[in-house]
Amino acid sequence: MQLHPFHLVEYSPWPLLNSFGILCMPVGLVYYIRGGSMTLLLLGLVAVAIISFLWWRDVTRESTLQGLHSSYVVKGLKVGVFLFIVSEVCFFFAFFWAYFHSSLAPSVEIGSTWPPVGIATLETFQVPLLNTSVLLLSGVSITWAHHSIEEGDHKNAMQGLGLTLALGFYFVFLQYGEYMETSFSIADSVYGSTFFIATGFHGLHVIVGATFLTVCFMRLILMHFDKKHHVGFLAAAWYWHFVDVVWLFLYVSIYWWGSFPDSLCKALIL
Amino acid sequence: MAASLWRTSSCILRRSLTISSVRCASGPPSKAVDQHKGKFPSDDCQIPDSLGHSVGVERYELLAKEAGNDDPFQMKPIKRAKGTFDEPTIVTSPNAKRMIGCICEEDSLTINWMYVHKGEPKRCECGYWFKLADAPVQEYN
Repeated sequence: MQLHPFHLVEYSPWPLLNSFGILCMPVGLVYYIRGGSMTLLLLGLVAVAIISFLWWRDVTRESTLQGLHSSYVVKGLKVGVFLFIVSEVCFFFAFFWAYFHSSLAPSVEIGSTWPPVGIATLETFQVPLLNTSVLLLSGVSITWAHHSIEEGDHKNAMQGLGLTLALGFYFVFLQYGEYMETSFSIADSVYGSTFFIATGFHGLHVIVGATFLTVCFMRLILMHFDKKHHVGFLAAAWYWHFVDVVWLFLYVSIYWWGSFPDSLCKALIL
Repeated sequence: MAASLWRTSSCILRRSLTISSVRCASGPPSKAVDQHKGKFPSDDCQIPDSLGHSVGVERYELLAKEAGNDDPFQMKPIKRAKGTFDEPTIVTSPNAKRMIGCICEEDSLTINWMYVHKGEPKRCECGYWFKLADAPVQEYN
């Protein structure tokens, strides 16, 4: 038995390989958008999916099957996940900064008004409101799953997590429908740019969060969690709540406040 | 080329022959362990608690805490004993040496780090003595 509580990790090819896979995705996406083939994008996606699966499998083996995650390791993992989410907050902060920079004092080139002249915004209280309630509901159902795990109630945990997953994928489906509906593109003024960058990256984060939850769902089926030790689930839940909160800010500032008809109205609200 | 091909193929052949002959000679294979036996949830089998689920270091730590040892990895600072040559502060380790740090005075701003070796009491520059003793690895079952 080792006489220290730490997990001295072994060499793993996955961080480096996944970096290359992830690099393929934005490059492939830009290439595809600029009229090239989809091959590089698909290659990146498939590579990242396979490598992530293998990486998750290894971590699962180390923690659940080899018991290498002592309480000290768990503490480190939690701090790590927290700091990662803080970095994600900074990431989205930048897009909100760009959005408010352009919308609070709209420049003359876009008609000195927000939304810019000629932009028909999406209906605030239709699908976006449904999206809001879908995500809020998924926040409730993941808490249901969490409490069930802590109570040792496998059946309810499965139901809660299953519902969360379904709501997550439903959100992605609704957002896809919204994207099909928009009358503006990412190239249509700073409105289109900020709108699609912010909501697009949020959608990407929902997909990643839903993937993380799917992994947790599989591990729940395999009985990998116990009542006290379920860090993977905890990390997925924190991440899911973060994505949820980002959506609330997006909804209130971009979909709602950003679609008020004239800037005088906004000034009164502010 | 021919030589290296021959070397490679003969090596592969020899290894597989050795392995299969050893396997054949050592009797029938042991039965496969069903990893998931008793682990499927049912009305009387639900999500386990940590002691019913953990293995390895994680389990060692839990069992130690259960047995009343709240510092199984000796991560916490220890109180200095009298610290004279006859009654040194005892530090334990299963290894031949261990790194220790002496907080010489209560209001010290630094820690004096040093190694203590088995069978060789050590005096910190502040005057306190330390000694390394055996620490049998505690097994919890």
